[in-house]
Order: sequence, then C-alpha cells, then structure tokens
Amino acid sequence: MNSDTSRKWDALSRRFDLLTFADDRRFGPHKRRLFRRICGETLLVGVGTGNDIKFLPPGLHVLAIDISPKMLERAARKVGGYAGSIELREMDAQHLDFPDSNFDTVVTVCTFCSVPKPIVGLRELHRVLKPGGQLLMFEHVRSQIGPLGVLMDVMTPLVSRIGPALNRDTVGNVQQAGFRLRRVENVYLDIVKTIEAVKGPAVVQADE
Amino acid sequence: MVFIVGDYIAGMLTGVVTALVVRAIVWPGMDMVLGMLLGMAAGMVLHLGVALLLAPLLGMFETMVPASLIGMYGGMFFGMRDSMAAGSRTGTAVAVVGALFGAVVVFSVKLYDRSIRGIVLDADPDEGRR
Repeated sequence: MNSDTSRKWDALSRRFDLLTFADDRRFGPHKRRLFRRICGETLLVGVGTGNDIKFLPPGLHVLAIDISPKMLERAARKVGGYAGSIELREMDAQHLDFPDSNFDTVVTVCTFCSVPKPIVGLRELHRVLKPGGQLLMFEHVRSQIGPLGVLMDVMTPLVSRIGPALNRDTVGNVQQAGFRLRRVENVYLDIVKTIEAVKGPAVVQADE
Repeated sequence: MVFIVGDYIAGMLTGVVTALVVRAIVWPGMDMVLGMLLGMAAGMVLHLGVALLLAPLLGMFETMVPASLIGMYGGMFFGMRDSMAAGSRTGTAVAVVGALFGAVVVFSVKLYDRSIRGIVLDADPDEGRR
C-alpha cells in the first residue's frame, strides 16, 4: 500500500466534495454518457468520496476501491442511495487483490493522475479484466497545446504535493499497458478526456 | 450560462489582480527582463490563489486553465510594460487592461475548446450507435 498517496488523499477528503462541486455539474453529463457503456461485473477504481456514484446507471453490481480510508468513509454514506449494489474496499490500484480475468468493465474517474506508477496500475487493470473486457476512463491529461503543456509541466511538482499530477500521458500509458484504444474524446480542450479501451485483439469491422 | 458568465468574471478578476500586483512590484526603469520574470512569477503564484478560491464555484479545469495563462503570460506582459512605463498611467487603467486581457484569454480558450472538442479517435464507429 502506498502510504504517502493514501495520506495525501485522506487529507483532501474533507474538502474534496467542495472542490469538485462545480466540476460535477459541468462534467456530470459526460460521465453519465460514458457510464452507460458499463456492463457485467464492474470494478470502479478510485471511487473517492463517491461523487460519481450518482452518475452510474441503476442495477449494476460494482466493486469500488480507493487507496484512502477517509475517502471511503465518505463514499460509504453515498452508497445507500444507489439503486444497485456497490461494495467498497480499500485497495491500491497498483496491487489489485483480484484474480486474473475477473471483471467485464473497469471504470476510472480522475484516478490515473494520482496513481504513482500509472503503467503499473494500468497493467493491473489489464490483468483483472476478462479478454474482451473494457476500460472506461474519465481522466485529465497533459495538454499537447504548446504553452499549456509547458505550464502543466511547471505546475506539476507543486500541485502533485497536495493533489494530482497535471502532466500525465494517460492515453499513451493505456496503450503501453497493453490495451487497444476504442475511442478517445476531448471533453475540455485536450486536457479532460474520455478514454475507452479494450483488452483483446483489434476490432474487426462488421462488414469485413 | 451561469458558468459562462462566471468564467469571464474569473478571468477578468485574475487579470486585474495580476496587473495590479505587477504594477506594485515592478517599477519604471527596472531591467525589462527582470520585470518580465518578476511579473511571470507573481502571476503564477496569484493565479493559483484566485483560481483555487473560485474553482469550487466554477470548476477546477475551466478556472485553472485560463487563469494559468493569464497569470503567467499576463504577468510577463504587464511586467515588461511596467518596467518601460509604457502606458496605463493610473491604477484604473491598469485594472481595465488587466480585465480586458483576462476576458480575451477566456474567450480564446473557449473558442479553441470548441474547435477541438469531441471524438479524436474512434476505432469502432458502430459501437457508439449500439
């Protein structure tokens, strides 16, 4: 368990809902649209304070993990309002305590900006997904726009002490971890993205 | 709509605060390079404060991204201008130019966002219609 990461997010847990109040309203529809693709046994990595539970379609069975016990305490209060089943567990995304090929869908929301070794974490997600299983991500990444990207590089050493890294190449990391990209969509500039990827061989078009 | 108005107010506020603080710390005759660097440093620190204050109301990304551009690049421009004593003689003029710069940056970011928003890769177009 990465105790530094855990402590950082424990410390932020009290203010987290306040800090993300407006983001929830602005990005909620995008998350809801992404989550409509969830199917089968689902792992939600980095559930945080449970802010995204309200965007999940009803009737799912979700196993939700987070590295921060304080975040999970807050998430537990929101689980009751969900019309389905959510089980919370404290776990590090880099060391998942699940067997291989266990889930149909893995979901992350602004998680891989904070996992210290993102490719290690993504390889873990790849391992626990069934062949053909899907990875659905709502993440912020480093901008490829010159001045913005430089700014994000400059700010990351400061910001990552109290929150997430700003300059992650999550799309590239997903591919490096062995996934095949299915769809990438810019939500805000080229910084906030939805990323859909699949564990398995390349998709064959229906008419081929 | 509330968010759009809020974004412009946040950008203008960041521009005003950056311009006024840079005016206070960069004096006419200061080496222009030093003025620019000082302005940039001040802008980068200030934008964090203003943006963190407004982020819960307007969203972390929509606040921080324009604010960081206004703080860093606005700070540089204001620092260069003030070291040369080139224009904006009164505090009001400094604030107005700061607000204008902030609004222009917010507008530009929104325009660019609109142009690049949407799907950038779709390996399985049929999937979306299912």
